[in-house]
Amino acid sequence: MTAIPRKGLTINLSDREIKEEPVSEKVANDFIGGRGFGIYYLYRDVLPNTDPLGENNKLLLVTGPLAGTNAQAVSRWMVCTRSPQTGAFARSVCGADFGAWMRFAGYDFIRVGGKAERPVYIHLSNDTCQIKDADELWGKGTLETQESLIQQYGKNTRVACIGPAGEKLVRYAAIASARRTAGRCGTGTVMGSKNLKAIAISAQRNVQLHDPVTFKELVKEQIKLMQESKAYHHHTDVGTTTTHDITNPLGIYPVRNFRYGQQNGYEKLSGEEYRKFRTGNFGCYSCSARCGKIHHVSSGPYAGSHSEGPEYETIWAFSGPTDNTNIEATIAADQLCDDLGIDTISAGNAIGFAYELYEKGILTRQDTDGLELTYGNHAAMIELIKKIGRREGIGNVLAEGVMQAAALIGKGAESYAIHVKGLELPAYEPRGAKCLGFNYATSNIGASHGYGYAPQEVFGSPIPRPVDRFAEEENADIVIFNQHSRAVNELGICCSFAGLWGWIPLLLHKMLFAATGIDQIADPGYLRSLGDRIINLERAFNVRDGFRRKHDTLPERFLKEPLHTGTAPGEGQMIRALDKFLDRYYKMRGWTPEGIPSPQKLNELGLSFVLKDMPYQ
Amino acid sequence: MGVQIEVPPFLQHLTNAMKVAKVSGNTVGECLDDLVKQFPGTQKLLFDTNRKLFGHIDLFVNGVSTFPEELAKPVNDGDTISMLYLIDGG
Repeated sequence: MTAIPRKGLTINLSDREIKEEPVSEKVANDFIGGRGFGIYYLYRDVLPNTDPLGENNKLLLVTGPLAGTNAQAVSRWMVCTRSPQTGAFARSVCGADFGAWMRFAGYDFIRVGGKAERPVYIHLSNDTCQIKDADELWGKGTLETQESLIQQYGKNTRVACIGPAGEKLVRYAAIASARRTAGRCGTGTVMGSKNLKAIAISAQRNVQLHDPVTFKELVKEQIKLMQESKAYHHHTDVGTTTTHDITNPLGIYPVRNFRYGQQNGYEKLSGEEYRKFRTGNFGCYSCSARCGKIHHVSSGPYAGSHSEGPEYETIWAFSGPTDNTNIEATIAADQLCDDLGIDTISAGNAIGFAYELYEKGILTRQDTDGLELTYGNHAAMIELIKKIGRREGIGNVLAEGVMQAAALIGKGAESYAIHVKGLELPAYEPRGAKCLGFNYATSNIGASHGYGYAPQEVFGSPIPRPVDRFAEEENADIVIFNQHSRAVNELGICCSFAGLWGWIPLLLHKMLFAATGIDQIADPGYLRSLGDRIINLERAFNVRDGFRRKHDTLPERFLKEPLHTGTAPGEGQMIRALDKFLDRYYKMRGWTPEGIPSPQKLNELGLSFVLKDMPYQ
Repeated sequence: MGVQIEVPPFLQHLTNAMKVAKVSGNTVGECLDDLVKQFPGTQKLLFDTNRKLFGHIDLFVNGVSTFPEELAKPVNDGDTISMLYLIDGG
């Protein structure tokens, strides 16, 4: 049997040209789908020095070859583009149903270029693709936008859209679908820069498989393994609302703009406390875990707030940075960000940054439009979210992200801007979880936990080996292992939780083969090798745009200030050996001391087509 | 001979940095009770206030998950108990 055909859809909003592009057999074999397709087409189609918010940047929505099937937890989708926050490669992953709907429409990717003269949306069905006027949608929140388009096109429609923040080019705007978001790296900002409000897909459920009989048997096996896994039942029960109960005792819960690793009174935000507000569950396409926990506030100043979430990162984003322990405020903040279309991690960081500047006297009440940015003041935090989303007053500055906001504010604010390459940090303290810290430093998208999550140091996984979470250059191999593992899982595109459910090492390669018919994937060794290929091509994308060793760093705070952890371990920890780490990491990767993939490495990985772009002299 | 518990990184600060603890008991639960007896600080990270094992901890005997028996799982002399936190980003 031959491999199934794959294709993408290209839409140029400047000249309104719409065309299909078949995926060549070589590209399908070499990059499989998902993140592999994302970086391949981005490298090919986005030239060096492209303005992230200019019409030449591309917005690539990609999904994997398992999306839309009845396999569990594999219908995710992601957005790849050049980030307006970092200027580097961007990858931002999202759940819900949209990835499945892309496949139902017949596409592995949708590539949007150009810029519409006026606000538009795209409507895609099994046989048509139209660019339509979006004047009536412009200004609406993400939920109302989706409801409006689903009402217009029917219940077999799914929508990915931006909110007011994306329209106003808040630099960390998100793309939302249902109540999930592709939040990181400013993907919604790129969409807004193209005057593209939404992409709606109306399609009947249908996905072509290479070997449907075998695939059906593999799904049965997958479900059996999941049912036997405690992790699956745990995620079904609580999602990630209890992660906070673990990271605080470990001293890796960042508090007050990454000065402390444990929050006083963190028990007020425990998973059991969130359970008291829970009214339901939400799941992605063909995933029985339904790990999204819906919360509702019925009394008090945030009465009426209703959110699918917050999950761990958002719980942190609206508690740690401002030292807030009001649970209702975290639910209200989550709802606001989802509807405005803002990345919660970057928003929480920007607000925490402002709180520290206020404490230091760099910002005053005159600068904050009268808001008292004192720790624990959750009402001011909520107001700041609204101001960021509307780009009002101090919100207009914070909407730039901490790196650029610091440059605008001056007065030494740069010392308190916590970011890597321009992307704000997630909810793990790098001085207490150093594999994650070095992953932040070397990640091609900036500070992302999702780029190379470190299960060894956070929850004790012995695979590939146990680690000391305070060790530094000794763990370069672990950082590489984790980055490769994530890249491979994102070919599917598999949910990151599924890594704990036991089936991925046993079944992913078999499922991908049964779905696509690509012979090489049947070899699990080939699949593992693709992590290296993807990371190196992403690196080459960045190198071509001037990124070097000096960009693989961490904020000064982590290099010079000791961590304070209260009753938890890790007191006094700092990052002491960044240079030694980079030396070892680059050497293990086959990169030059400047962090450039060597010719030998690129040839070995089948990436010789990028050699001409590498500055070896 | 007894039973060994491989102390995970998230508990080692409570076991004087000990990576392997020797315990006794006929079930996983009894072995964990013995661990808590030796190192009382570990209780807060293993059990909730009702002495129920936290949902985010997965226990293994000789590398095989004890789920769904968990604490009731019998153990024999020479067995090794290990554990994982079941969390991820989000």
